[in-house]
Amino acid sequence: MKVEDVVCPFCGCLCDDLVVEVENNLVINVENGCTLANEKFMGDHRLKNPIRREGGSWKDVSYDAAIRETAEILLDADRPLLYGWSGTHGEAQSVGVHLAELLGAVIDNTSTVCHGPSILAIQEVGHPGCTLGQVKNRADVIVYWGANPIDAHPRHMSRYTTYADGFFVKEAFRERKVIVIDVRKTESSAVADEFVKVDRGGDYAVLSALRAIVRGKGDLIPVKVGGVTRDQLFRVADICKNAKFGAIFFGLGLTMSPGKNKNIRNAIELTEELNRHTKFTISPMRGHWNVYGSNEVFTWISGYPYAVDFARGIAFYNPGETTSVDVLRRGECDACLVVASDPGAHFPRACAEHLARIPTVQIDPHVNATTCLARLQIPVAVTGIDAEGTAYRMDGVPIRTRKLYEGTYPSDLEILGKIYALVKEAKGS
Amino acid sequence: MTGMLVKNAYVIDPLSGVNGEIMDIAIRDGKIVEEVGSGAVVIDAGGCLTLPGGIDSHSHVCGTKVNFGRYMSPEDMRAGRTSRKGVMHVTSGYSVPTTFGNSYRYSSMGYTTVLEGAMAPLEARHTHEEFTATPHQDMLANTLFDGNWSIMEAVRDKDVKRAAAVVAWTLAAVKGFAIKLTNPGGTEAWGWGEDVHSIRDEVPRFGVTPAEIIETMIQANELLNLPHSVHIHCNNLGVPGNYQTTLDTIDLAPDLNKERQSLYLTHVQFHSYGGSTWKDICSKSEDVARAVNARPQVAIDMGQIMFGRTTTMTADGPMEFKLYMLHHNKWSNHDVELETGSGIIPVYYGRKSLVNCVMWAIGLELALLTKNPWQCMLATDNPNGAPFVKYPEIIALLMSRKLREYEMKVIDPRTEHFVPLFAIDRELDWYEIAVMTRAAQAKALGITRIGKGHLAPGAEADIAIYPLKPDELDPSVDYQQVMAGFAKTSYTIKRGRVVARDGEVIVEGANSTIWTRAEVPPEFDLNNDPEFVKKFEQYYTVRMRNYPVQEVYLPRGVSISTEASL
Amino acid sequence: MRFVLNTGRTIRQGSYVERKNSPVYREEAASLYMNRVDMLDLEIEEGSHVRVKSDQGAVVMVAHPADGLVRGDVFVCLGPYANFLVNPETHGTGMPDFKTTVVTIEPTTDPVPTVRELMEQCGGVGYEG
Repeated sequence: MKVEDVVCPFCGCLCDDLVVEVENNLVINVENGCTLANEKFMGDHRLKNPIRREGGSWKDVSYDAAIRETAEILLDADRPLLYGWSGTHGEAQSVGVHLAELLGAVIDNTSTVCHGPSILAIQEVGHPGCTLGQVKNRADVIVYWGANPIDAHPRHMSRYTTYADGFFVKEAFRERKVIVIDVRKTESSAVADEFVKVDRGGDYAVLSALRAIVRGKGDLIPVKVGGVTRDQLFRVADICKNAKFGAIFFGLGLTMSPGKNKNIRNAIELTEELNRHTKFTISPMRGHWNVYGSNEVFTWISGYPYAVDFARGIAFYNPGETTSVDVLRRGECDACLVVASDPGAHFPRACAEHLARIPTVQIDPHVNATTCLARLQIPVAVTGIDAEGTAYRMDGVPIRTRKLYEGTYPSDLEILGKIYALVKEAKGS
Repeated sequence: MTGMLVKNAYVIDPLSGVNGEIMDIAIRDGKIVEEVGSGAVVIDAGGCLTLPGGIDSHSHVCGTKVNFGRYMSPEDMRAGRTSRKGVMHVTSGYSVPTTFGNSYRYSSMGYTTVLEGAMAPLEARHTHEEFTATPHQDMLANTLFDGNWSIMEAVRDKDVKRAAAVVAWTLAAVKGFAIKLTNPGGTEAWGWGEDVHSIRDEVPRFGVTPAEIIETMIQANELLNLPHSVHIHCNNLGVPGNYQTTLDTIDLAPDLNKERQSLYLTHVQFHSYGGSTWKDICSKSEDVARAVNARPQVAIDMGQIMFGRTTTMTADGPMEFKLYMLHHNKWSNHDVELETGSGIIPVYYGRKSLVNCVMWAIGLELALLTKNPWQCMLATDNPNGAPFVKYPEIIALLMSRKLREYEMKVIDPRTEHFVPLFAIDRELDWYEIAVMTRAAQAKALGITRIGKGHLAPGAEADIAIYPLKPDELDPSVDYQQVMAGFAKTSYTIKRGRVVARDGEVIVEGANSTIWTRAEVPPEFDLNNDPEFVKKFEQYYTVRMRNYPVQEVYLPRGVSISTEASL
Repeated sequence: MRFVLNTGRTIRQGSYVERKNSPVYREEAASLYMNRVDMLDLEIEEGSHVRVKSDQGAVVMVAHPADGLVRGDVFVCLGPYANFLVNPETHGTGMPDFKTTVVTIEPTTDPVPTVRELMEQCGGVGYEG
């Protein structure tokens, strides 16, 4: 059976034009998808049933027992951490936030090690952005800064930028100028019209230099800034000022490098400055297909997009204090529920060590690095394949993922709903 | 259901012609009925002011740009936080509260129905998710069409029926309620960093003017027989001298509907400026009110600003950028492909700023100078003018000349040279306030047909009992009590359940989203229209199949069906 | 020799994100990309095992040349091998220094650990199911 207009639950592009062939509750073919989509849809490596660690080995356990034990672990804890969320649907994320509220827990999502610094910058200077279709239809200048879309967001260029024809840009490949700015050559820099090689840690200075030139203070610029020549700086500034519509996309190259949120702040302020001359927007390349969704859900319920601490009874937000890496490295949490993410693989080792020390439960369809650190893992349906729900694309556009067949796994929403009910009952609310 | 009886209520129900009668109100199964049996739960209103549940006809509480406003402003979140209490969830936010925060605070003020000021169709799903998380008010969505490509093409082709077809398709697809135009044409121009400066300016690359968009949409609205009229945020918001644009826009409005206005202008305070620069900005509320008074086909809301800090957020992208250039505060922008735009920036309205004082006066003047309270509704364009929790203060100002005089002493002393406010004696009475905060909204929105805004048998049992005894109070001097009374109901009843008591919400909510389904003849069904479908195939970045808001997002949706005269 | 370790996404790492116990994932996540001249200096070649050490610990990886890297910079895709070396300090931002870990690199004959072994070194218990 062929299903059209399928939404891909992998990266922040949230492509919704896939055509997928399903047979016997398995996806056997994917059209229009990138490599990541193919692997995601046609992968068949799921954990069969809940597993529980007893001493040095693993045993199968029932869903009911696993759910009950999870509730007990969370209720027992003084300061539980509920982490992850970016790989599941919004409806489940909502339950997660309410669960954290009930428990007085810390709840955090993968922004914390991805675009958290971008959020910090936005909270200082705002975010002049737009939906991806604005870029596709109008942009004549595209800048990728500290981002390598060909590896991380493979269809970004074909759906939205370099190769995407739009209403006002009928021949994108010819009419659009693409600038790639990075500390190393990548697949993306190879297709750029202009590659700007920045010294490691030099982004902040380069951004400041561009701002100075755009503001008319170009004579301040020395021969080289952050490894970039004066000539190239002026050339790039010129291209931007003369654009009819410029769009900057930035990635982990800015969020993870020294300066972190200050790098992004500078990039946003450059964009705001360019708006005095022409139309310019800036957008973060969100990694997971629903990390923005977790920011949205966390915000409309608690007021804050990530790193929310309910221990005081109110919603409390203080990145650096309430962020997961910090909570874990200080050994502050005494239980952890991981949903739809893999901190074992993606957090620094000291955090992984703490996860192994405390009772950690993981809700995830697949065995991953965190499995080894957990006491309990509960497999669930994969959103976008055998579960459906709301996702928010990297530009904030909400799309509902599809359920391709009726599988046998429960969804994240069902499992979390049951845990929530048990916790609520125990707390006598 | 055993039913409920509200006894000894001092009822003002303008739509039913009741003005200060002590009555009993009988409720069963969520509706007001003639009578209930002796087993009914009895609530003694103790002779207190009892009104239909409050209705806000223009408030920004749910959706993409509202949530943007929240997460970019953690300082605003910190300024208004509350803990869990009983069934009440944690809330955060002062000028942009979280959804539960909005819901509880509105409930505390007796409001049971809210029209979200702006929803971009592409992002409607987000608005609906937040509607469900605003559980104590029935919600409606103003659907943005100001920069809509299909609309502008229909306008260019002078094809009103096609415009109507686009509206009908879109409202049904995204479960929207009414047509909203925000800076029509301007939001598309902003896609290039430009704007329009009069209703006759041409929108770049589309060859249509705001006037043409407005006129076509008014015609389309009436062809579709939509419950509400076109709802417009005029061009040139905030620009000194913009009152002329407002008068020009008002002049466009024909009288096409016997039940209600044919054009609703929102937050008109921001559109009533004389002068030509910030140095000589003055109030033109008299001119605007005169125009409104002469035209029963026009209705407005105040857009009152109140001193203090707040957050501005509108679909008017270029206007928000202008504020950024002025204040250099943190600024966000979000243009929506093929449809509209938006911008957000925090502001502070100060008593020491002459311009802000003039703005503050204008809102009040509009309410006092519009003769017919049904034509001028109370609103602050929440949160742009002020957070909605300031409504009670505004009511007090409208009811008391003395309070306005007191304010005059603490604002910029030059203000009285630029505004007529202090020469106005009029004090609104309880009836007029009841009209301006619910009855007029129900009429203007066209939702009396679903039982909103009145208390006659058959109506929805949405009732607010305020701890105010009109016969024992003189609002022109007892303004403190008026403020306190309207801030916190003794009871807020929604669909026959007591949801709030003395400021505390006591049950989980189960609200409805109200939307409009305009039935059009098959030849106007755009699902297979090649030009329309092409937009999704080539220009949108979301597929046509994935664009509509699925039923699952409206767990208790209420659709109002209308038949188009196409 | 001292180097600065950069980490980031690669398509192969992303493709195997649901099969972290697989040999392909291990191969991708334990690949250390270096500038060719640096490799000459260390007297290693494509496929050599190297011990990469930071203030957090050490892990054995496989060296490969990369033309896009300058001298002194090395790259590993994000994952448990890289994170074995990353310091959890976030400088009050919540974000560790994923792109600037100072490491020393020397050739070794030790084997490359499996993901399971890495997690067990962290105190976990592997699951192969």
